[in-house]
Amino acid sequence: MTSARDRILGKLRAAQKPFDELPPAPPKRYMSRPEDLSAEGLRARFVQEVKKLSCIPIEHADAESAIEYILGVIGEDSSVITWDFEQIPLTGLETALNDRGIQRGQPRDDKVRVGITGAVAAFASTGSLMMTSGAGKPRIASLLPPVHIAVIHGNQILPDFDTWIEQKRAEGIGSFNRPANNFLITGSSRTSDIAMESVLGVHGPGEVHVVILV
Amino acid sequence: MKVDANNFVSVAQIAVNDPDLQEAVSLGTYNGYSKRLVAMFSNGHEHGEAMRQQAAAMRRRAIQKLPDLLELAEKNMTANGIKVLWAETAEDVRNMVLDIAKKRNAKLVAKSKSMISEEVALNHAFEENGIEVVETDLGEYIIQLNKETPSHIVMPVMHRTKREIRDLFMRELNMPFTDDAAEMTAFIRKHLRQVFVNADIGISGGNFIIAESGSLCLVTNEGNGRMVTAMPKVHIGIVGIEKVIETIEDYATLTQILPRSATGQQMTVYMQMINGPRREDEPDGPDEVYVILVDNGRSKVYATKYAEALTCIRCGACLNACPVYQVTGGHAYGWVYSGPIGAVITPALTGLENATPLPQASSLCGKCKQVCPVDIDIPRMLLDLRHELVEKGMTDKIFDVGLKAWSIGNRSPKLFIMGGAVARFGTRFLPNRLPGPLGGWTKYRDFPQFAPKPFRELWKERKKGKPS
Amino acid sequence: MYLPERPSPKGKRVSLFVTCIVDMVYPAVGMSVVDILEHLGVEIDFPENQTCCGQPGYNSGYRNDAREVALHFLRVFADADVIVVPSGSCAAMIRHEYLTLFADDPVWLPHAQRAASITWEFTEFIVQGLGITDLKLRLPQPQTFAIHDACHGLRILGLGEEARTLLANVENAALEDLKDADACCGFGGLFSVKMADVSGAMLQKKIDCINHCPAATIITGDTSCMTQMNGGLSRQKSVKRVRHIADVLAEGLKK
Repeated sequence: MTSARDRILGKLRAAQKPFDELPPAPPKRYMSRPEDLSAEGLRARFVQEVKKLSCIPIEHADAESAIEYILGVIGEDSSVITWDFEQIPLTGLETALNDRGIQRGQPRDDKVRVGITGAVAAFASTGSLMMTSGAGKPRIASLLPPVHIAVIHGNQILPDFDTWIEQKRAEGIGSFNRPANNFLITGSSRTSDIAMESVLGVHGPGEVHVVILV
Repeated sequence: MKVDANNFVSVAQIAVNDPDLQEAVSLGTYNGYSKRLVAMFSNGHEHGEAMRQQAAAMRRRAIQKLPDLLELAEKNMTANGIKVLWAETAEDVRNMVLDIAKKRNAKLVAKSKSMISEEVALNHAFEENGIEVVETDLGEYIIQLNKETPSHIVMPVMHRTKREIRDLFMRELNMPFTDDAAEMTAFIRKHLRQVFVNADIGISGGNFIIAESGSLCLVTNEGNGRMVTAMPKVHIGIVGIEKVIETIEDYATLTQILPRSATGQQMTVYMQMINGPRREDEPDGPDEVYVILVDNGRSKVYATKYAEALTCIRCGACLNACPVYQVTGGHAYGWVYSGPIGAVITPALTGLENATPLPQASSLCGKCKQVCPVDIDIPRMLLDLRHELVEKGMTDKIFDVGLKAWSIGNRSPKLFIMGGAVARFGTRFLPNRLPGPLGGWTKYRDFPQFAPKPFRELWKERKKGKPS
Repeated sequence: MYLPERPSPKGKRVSLFVTCIVDMVYPAVGMSVVDILEHLGVEIDFPENQTCCGQPGYNSGYRNDAREVALHFLRVFADADVIVVPSGSCAAMIRHEYLTLFADDPVWLPHAQRAASITWEFTEFIVQGLGITDLKLRLPQPQTFAIHDACHGLRILGLGEEARTLLANVENAALEDLKDADACCGFGGLFSVKMADVSGAMLQKKIDCINHCPAATIITGDTSCMTQMNGGLSRQKSVKRVRHIADVLAEGLKK
């Protein structure tokens, strides 16, 4: 007895190839690749793109000012959803939250307003944050709370998604598909389903802060 | 979903006379078209065109190797812990999904936008089996609430004005009055929160499958796509077999092209590469991930001259650019896929006899090909389909006879001149409105007067007057 | 779009294919083409047995019927060195679709390929073929124009700049922009009667753009689109009209 799989593949194999001839692949091109690839240039471009996406970049943050800024966003809230603190490149954050009596909320608690995460990389060309799922990194932290604070180090900013893929290619495909979920975040959750009016914060966070540490 | 494409002419007639639809669709298509133009060519025209050709070459390569890539994708997805199922028909898909739902004793299913789930009429199957299914994309949610079908591949509710949507929310959900799209969205956000938290199963489509890494890719904006693939214990991705691509580099290129063509964004907000169920050390994510590879007619299309349509990445750019779609909206096309690409896919997948008007629903202006991010030659396929209609005797007899007469008249200069003389005489006495097929012309336009003397006579006179 | 490489038409005799619609309905357009080509010193021949290129049948799917008409065309123009056509869509039919129509015909394919390689749309012939951008013309009165890019000329043959360049160099001619100049007028051959309501709605959008355009006259390179637009403008009693580019250029010749 043949399976559905075999029948489908059999039909595809029995068919004449759809294209008579395939021209050789044209040389690879990239959209909007940054021209200035220096650390300073990449950071400037990243900040510019993040602003265009109606997100809030915080530049030149040292640990102290970053923590102060994050506490300001949290305000009077009693709990936040966060990654494990060793996954966020900001020493002192855990202590600062404890000192203020701010709890780590349950990941599925949809009453919590603020989520705090790191990122595995950021892309200057599009203002994107690259995330991978993993130990101590709940995906929900960047999704369920209406406010997302991502903390990255300036040296995590790469030119674009293609550059990150080049790195993964060099490390081997296993480094790409080991995490259950790789995802990019580019801006705030948005829709224009109602009369083409752009609205932020549909299901994911409508407010995204990116703290860039020096 | 039932195919209702043979009523194109009458549904389109209603659509062009519906002021709400005209307002909504004009706004939507203009928005999509103009944003795409800016985004695709932000690095200059030549660069944007080169990106299109790069994407086109890559999609053609993938379709050429489709059976091999599918096997590779299956092997790598399985190694990643994804359960891969193969469905030949719409019914197979429904049965597979229902089996999983029953096994998990599911009561509530949360869906993100998926055209293929419309194609296989999945929601209906859930409802028949007493399982609640909720569309969570805002546009799809509106469609579900209003008990209609999506009219656009990317913007499912493009055919509705803000007023109509407001009235629907007030009527069905007791939303307080507002004219503000942001307030309406916030109202629905609140409404759908518990669906994500409580759903037993999340269902998504898939924009691509990367064969070499075994990854299911989802490109979304609202965040519901991430919700339904992260919160419920089970995630089922339903994907057409044509969506497979070869490498992660290919994915990077396509993700530069797809959002620019679809919504004019540089990137969509969330781009996921799903490599399987939650790993042991991961704090969240589904325990089970299924990918259902759906044929439903695609392998049949693969063997025809319409195989090029399988390279489509469902961006909707050809819908926004099409002057026909701009005045009819999507419902006239009578199935899941509308606009120029729908006019090819619907007859190709469901049978030409079920969609005889669709190949005719085009002025062959060529904009669909011009804007297509993978350069699909839609006009060529529409012409091939029209030829097939003639070959299979599926055309109106009056046109068969008329075109035969035209052909005979134009093979012979004598008959051609005679025909011209008759027309010249006849058009002098034409009433303002004509009967028969020509009535279509005079309904909106005056008929041109034939000249008293044809060019060939003027030419002869001129030569006589000016001997060389 | 694949279009074959072509030999230069400079110094060669031109066989004029006026198209069936110009022959019967708009012969003055044909005479304007003759006036302009003679102004440029081009030798012109009019093969009198010409009829139609076959496009109406081909675009409606009647390929066998269209093939017979195309065969007639190939026979009539068998001796032509250069074919000039005052229509983008008829030129596109010959240059692009004939190759499909005769793809499986080893006898006639070479003839179709030859015809495709020597066929030029009117403005394309002048600007690309002869390398002339200034026709040294002067209109008797100052006039304003805007161009409607007919679809097949624009998207199959890649034309548009040619007409703009020629007009810009005509004295007393001012060019304005027509909104959505590259949007289809809704003609589409038999589409206009088979899908009359859709075609009518497309036409209405074009008419709205024309009525809002500051230019008094709209110019296009296809008489079929011109028929559609003028049919609608006349029905709606608009003062605006669409003219073929050859007519406007010929008006600038010193009589």
